[in-house]
Amino acid sequence: MAILSFTLSEEGVAVLHDALACIVKFSDDVCLEASKDKLTLTALNLSKSAYVKITLSANRFFSRYSFDGTGQFRDKFFCQLYIRSLLSIFRTRAASGDQARDRDKETTIERCDVSVDDGPGVKSRLIAKIICRNGITATHALPFETKAPVHAKFDSNEAANRWTISARTLRQLMDHFGPGIELLDINTDGENVVNFTCFTEKAVNPSTDAVLKKPLHTSIAVEMDEFDDIEVPEKLHIIVSVKDFRNILHHAQLTSGELAASYSVPGRPMKLSYRGDGILCEYILMTVGEKDAAGQRGTKRTRGANQTKPAAPRPELEAASVTSSNQANFAVPSGSRAAAGNATAQQKTPARPRQSQFQIRPPPLPPPSTLRSESLFVAQDEDQQWEPVNADEDADGEEIARLEWDNNLNPSPKRIISHAAQATPRSEDIDKMLDSGLEPTQRLSEVRRFGLFSP
Amino acid sequence: MRFKTELRNIRTFSKLVAALNSLEKIAWVRLDDDTARFTVIPDTGSQVWASLSMDFIFENYHIQSAESNNTINLELPLAPLQRALRSALNSTACSLRLTKRDGIPVLSLTIHTTTKDLPPASGFGAAHHHHPNHASRDRDDYDPARDDESVFTTEPLEMTLKSRGERDKVITHDIPVRVLHPDTVETIMQPKVREPDVHIQLPPLLQLKAISDRFTRLATTSSSGSARGQAANPKLELSANMHGSLRLRIATDSLDVTSTWDKLENPDLDPTQLQIPLEDHPSTKFREAGPDKWATVRVDGKDWSRVLSVGRLEGRVIACFADDHALILYVYVPQYDDAGAEDSVVTYYVSSYSL
Repeated sequence: MAILSFTLSEEGVAVLHDALACIVKFSDDVCLEASKDKLTLTALNLSKSAYVKITLSANRFFSRYSFDGTGQFRDKFFCQLYIRSLLSIFRTRAASGDQARDRDKETTIERCDVSVDDGPGVKSRLIAKIICRNGITATHALPFETKAPVHAKFDSNEAANRWTISARTLRQLMDHFGPGIELLDINTDGENVVNFTCFTEKAVNPSTDAVLKKPLHTSIAVEMDEFDDIEVPEKLHIIVSVKDFRNILHHAQLTSGELAASYSVPGRPMKLSYRGDGILCEYILMTVGEKDAAGQRGTKRTRGANQTKPAAPRPELEAASVTSSNQANFAVPSGSRAAAGNATAQQKTPARPRQSQFQIRPPPLPPPSTLRSESLFVAQDEDQQWEPVNADEDADGEEIARLEWDNNLNPSPKRIISHAAQATPRSEDIDKMLDSGLEPTQRLSEVRRFGLFSP
Repeated sequence: MRFKTELRNIRTFSKLVAALNSLEKIAWVRLDDDTARFTVIPDTGSQVWASLSMDFIFENYHIQSAESNNTINLELPLAPLQRALRSALNSTACSLRLTKRDGIPVLSLTIHTTTKDLPPASGFGAAHHHHPNHASRDRDDYDPARDDESVFTTEPLEMTLKSRGERDKVITHDIPVRVLHPDTVETIMQPKVREPDVHIQLPPLLQLKAISDRFTRLATTSSSGSARGQAANPKLELSANMHGSLRLRIATDSLDVTSTWDKLENPDLDPTQLQIPLEDHPSTKFREAGPDKWATVRVDGKDWSRVLSVGRLEGRVIACFADDHALILYVYVPQYDDAGAEDSVVTYYVSSYSL
């Protein structure tokens, strides 16, 4: 008898996929925590600055759900899985927007049966059986690690500042931010508005060219009336990672209408949440403390050799006290995963005193960035056709591929160094040619004077 | 030094910036009482001089500096400007001003815009908000009526959301710039080229670009090992005559392909604008020499592709060929909403190569 078994409808698979696709932007692994009435997916990112918790209601999200806890798992069962393997199982379609069209296709999923078993003498496996409309059934068995999840702590009594806003509105506004920015400052500096300001902390010498390479600095003012249930003092700046915020919004607008935020002061966690039918998504993001923001300026370039995007040193979330004290011992993994697991386990030891709000230490490398944040930008529309030719990545790939030319063998394109005489006069040559005195502009009248065309 | 203006023709402006940005990241912008001029001069490749009348892209502008004609010279990164203009495309009002932020001069673009209330996402949670009475008791339907768990309560959101999108949002983009001293730009001069042998109106640029790009790729992918270095930067041969024909050719060790366009227009020259009599003009001689008399230049395939990116402006393009010497494109930027206005011209000095 499986500890946990449930059935997902076609839509349920799609929603679960969306949820996992969101979580994978924060962490490679997800913790499943099952109880009688709900299944919870949680993840904490590597730098421990962002925590995701997606709760699926047992009787509303699933077509069938049964939890049969015994022994050590009487109340709760938990395990940790590699998200990408789950994603490949629950992959249904590229975007959830095509549902109506895809439904007719035979290859779509009719339902998905999942069962999880564990315990002494039983193989720890998550078995997912995908039943497609065309009669094919695919069965996947995934190994997992039995490990208690780490929950971030958030004190909602402390977080007096809050607002709620349409996720779609906010998402559309985020499209106005350009690339290359790292931090989002949500502040109330203006009159009766909430500002969303994007910036990087890279300091540049104003006298060099580097000034011109700074990313676009963008600020968006949204009237307070736009928000529901808003309670924010004036002049409060709260700073979070723009990437996290974007990832959350992307999922929020797929799932729900309204995004709610609550927070207290800089350096304390911020909570974002939204819900769909049978699904509740909560995020706890550590905000950049004012001291950190100031301190960063002096020290930040120390990891300059690092090619990955340097994450602003950020404080970590606090782990909530362990759900039940002895569960960390159940881990039955092997190898490096175990080591990683233990490291995490140490983090949640309740020894850390309450008043230490966060540890400041060099954060681990951020998780490899995913392509998905790109999709948040405004679509390029038809402009693509005007992009310069790129012989290496071929727009006509299909034809070339058919001819079996290996584009990858091309040497990296080198700049032309033309030893031949260059026909176009360069600026150095111009002095000689200035006799006829063409002004360095070319209004049509001047071009005419220079002897070109009739209108 | 002051500069403050409202923007108009944002779409065209944005396309121009995109076209310039495909050649070089940073432009030299020269603003004065009458003209806004954008110049890009890459280290290698074609250079562009775009002169627009101030009224074309600006409205109610105020410009002031210590120089004559209130000239202001700026160095401006094109990618952020393009990004900022793109977010201004659907704005209700849009203004630009030169100011300082944290001691760094910036062009600050202020956009008033509204967000749309999109149709609800097709995620299943959202989809079901719409049918609160759709009370199938099947568990598969996630029936909201089974609302026995307060955590998962779904509020009727539609009522509160509808009118929200119409409210004004103010977006501010700060584009970093460098103010250039007049002395530093004094020496930058527009190239001068001798009277052209052939001038011809180019076929639709999208067509020309598609074929040029195809040729460039053919040359890159078809040549064998030893010729690689050369093949990475294939040269296209462009020729035109005074009888309405344009020829595009790629020749490598292993292939030789030519496309020819006919019945193109060779616009008439205006004798009053010429400094030499029309009958002495090189193009007259080329015309008299018949359709087999071609003026030819060689251009770099990739650079040419970046040049043709100007096609997004949808303007008329006249190519001037000086045989085996130079190629200049004049792009006439259409001014839809003001037919009487003087055309703005974007001039491309296409870098060309001898054999």
